[in-house]
Amino acid sequence: MDELIVNLKKEIIEVLNLEEVKPEDIADDAPLFGEGLGLDSIDALELIVLMEKNYGIKLTDPSQGRELFKSTRVMADYIRENRKK
Amino acid sequence: MKRGIARYSYINDHRASLDGKTIATARGEGCFLTTLYRALKIDYPRFFKMDNLSKLGFLASELILEGDERRYSRGEEVAIICFNRGSSLESDTRYQATIQEQEDYFPSPSLFVYTLPNIVAAEIAIRNKIHGETAFYLQEHFDARALFERVSEAFEDAGTRAVLAAWIESFDAREAFMTRVEEYDGEPPLFPFSGDTIVKLLNKSRNG
Amino acid sequence: MIAWIGDNIISSLGFTTGENYQAVLAGRSGTRLREYAGLPESFMASLIDRERLESECAGIPAGKESPLEKAAILSATRAATEAGIDLSSPRVQFFFSSTKGNVALLDGLAPGSRREEIYPWHSARIVSRHFGNPNEPVVISNACISGASAQVAALRALEAGRCDHAAVIGAEMLSRFIVSGFQCLKALSPETCRPFDANRTGLNLGEAAATVIYKRASQGDRGIMLARGVTRNDANHISGPSRTGEGCFLALKATLDGIDPGEIAFVNAHGTATPYNDRMEAIALARAGLNNVPVNSLKGYFGHALGAAGVLESIISTRALMEKWVIASKGFETREEEYPLNVTKQGARTGKPYCVKMLSGFGGCNAVLLFKRVDDETGDREI
Repeated sequence: MDELIVNLKKEIIEVLNLEEVKPEDIADDAPLFGEGLGLDSIDALELIVLMEKNYGIKLTDPSQGRELFKSTRVMADYIRENRKK
Repeated sequence: MKRGIARYSYINDHRASLDGKTIATARGEGCFLTTLYRALKIDYPRFFKMDNLSKLGFLASELILEGDERRYSRGEEVAIICFNRGSSLESDTRYQATIQEQEDYFPSPSLFVYTLPNIVAAEIAIRNKIHGETAFYLQEHFDARALFERVSEAFEDAGTRAVLAAWIESFDAREAFMTRVEEYDGEPPLFPFSGDTIVKLLNKSRNG
Repeated sequence: MIAWIGDNIISSLGFTTGENYQAVLAGRSGTRLREYAGLPESFMASLIDRERLESECAGIPAGKESPLEKAAILSATRAATEAGIDLSSPRVQFFFSSTKGNVALLDGLAPGSRREEIYPWHSARIVSRHFGNPNEPVVISNACISGASAQVAALRALEAGRCDHAAVIGAEMLSRFIVSGFQCLKALSPETCRPFDANRTGLNLGEAAATVIYKRASQGDRGIMLARGVTRNDANHISGPSRTGEGCFLALKATLDGIDPGEIAFVNAHGTATPYNDRMEAIALARAGLNNVPVNSLKGYFGHALGAAGVLESIISTRALMEKWVIASKGFETREEEYPLNVTKQGARTGKPYCVKMLSGFGGCNAVLLFKRVDDETGDREI
């Protein structure tokens, strides 16, 4: 069990108000956008805030998010390498 | 063409009613709006992303439009005209908290997009595919005459056949009162549309 | 149909309509790089000179008005003087449009506490009571189309005979609240915005207070008339523009029913210079068969004045319609091939009698206003 991925899923559910989604409903490699969770552009911007607030990672270009928010595993890998918090 | 009130709904922080009949009351802990959402067996996860102003308006419209077979097909025919006292100040205050402290400055996009009162009209429009006029007016107190005038004027738009007219407050109180005003020939749908009727229905709803 | 009898604009480019219009013709932009205390990043915006506002307000009895209310009072005073009407009359109705009013007052306010001055109806009342007007103002908060919604409300109230004159005021002042919000939406351009340009980079915010005075039109009236106004919703997304331009198209279609596109001098679009807004408008204009009509945006001059934009841009556009001129769309250089529009690169003469004002806003709302110039019988009507 990857603790960072589990925490990340909890954080995503909380900041995006995914009331009826549980961490175990999100597969580590499942795409966050495009299907399933029904996320939109505002959610992507909110995830950029999450990266900075919780992990000290500042993304200046919103288009970076497209690569980064592919899945919780991609996010977690990026956080491990770049976190400042 | 004459105008009448086809249905009216009411929600405050502990009770919801439709056409004067109680639909749900608060039991125990937890947010009543979530309780009501579950009681109405609505499957619309976006609900949980909304601010309280939008949740109130959304649920009031769910009550009114439930079972209406033309619900999703009226397009430009339906206008949504809303009123309140506190604008979006509940969300404004929550957004302000995300920028207040310089050491903890993380402006939230998902809060900021709710810092406009007319977003509630958008939420109702999106859910029901309503493309008609949407408008939000602000006033110090509920004013039946102003509501009657603005809603009557919305029918001046040649495309308008019905108006969802609502008082929706979430800052100084938590309350939604919505009516569906329809054009008709012959017998009125439920009540004739007038300022006096609006006041009577609101008072009746408030008193349970 | 209602007749336009007076107006005023207070903005970064001037304190009278004439001063603003001349600045636009000269190609000047009010946008500058700005900073606010407590805001980590600087931003480009077009702000009202506060010192000049104070000095121009000298002579107007000052109470505890906020800068927003002062600018609105000054603007309404000047518009009413031009119109030659007495705003204290019970037959005058105020229509007040702003998206965020005095939201700046939330800064530093203890959580849970209340200040009546924050409520937008309070601002509207400060303004109408300044003039001794006995009627409760109509206050519209309809995101970025508020200034058009207010004019539609005035059109209906005048036609219904509820009042003899309508004073429509749009007022918006910027604050840390508004700027930080648009920054976190990544919507702001680091340079002066370039509406409809293929390489546009986002919007600039702006401040303005603008007023139009209307009366019911009667036989023989000349000048600018507000003929129609329609608003429609995208029913698509709370903040993103529709990919099909649905609401905007429906509003254009309803407003221009029976109007020959060949009679339209120009369309003054919303043109915020965000990639999605301008594309949405191009799609809607093409669907409505208006892609060959000259199109411009005024955001390169004034930035986006939010709740004041609809009033401000209607004033500049109708002034141009009176002068038989199509204003150059500042910042536009490169055409977007995929969504071609007839964007006005250089100002041009026109004799056509109609202009169309478009606005779109958060909440999926879209508004279209149709203005008509009625020429003097002795004038050189070229249609």
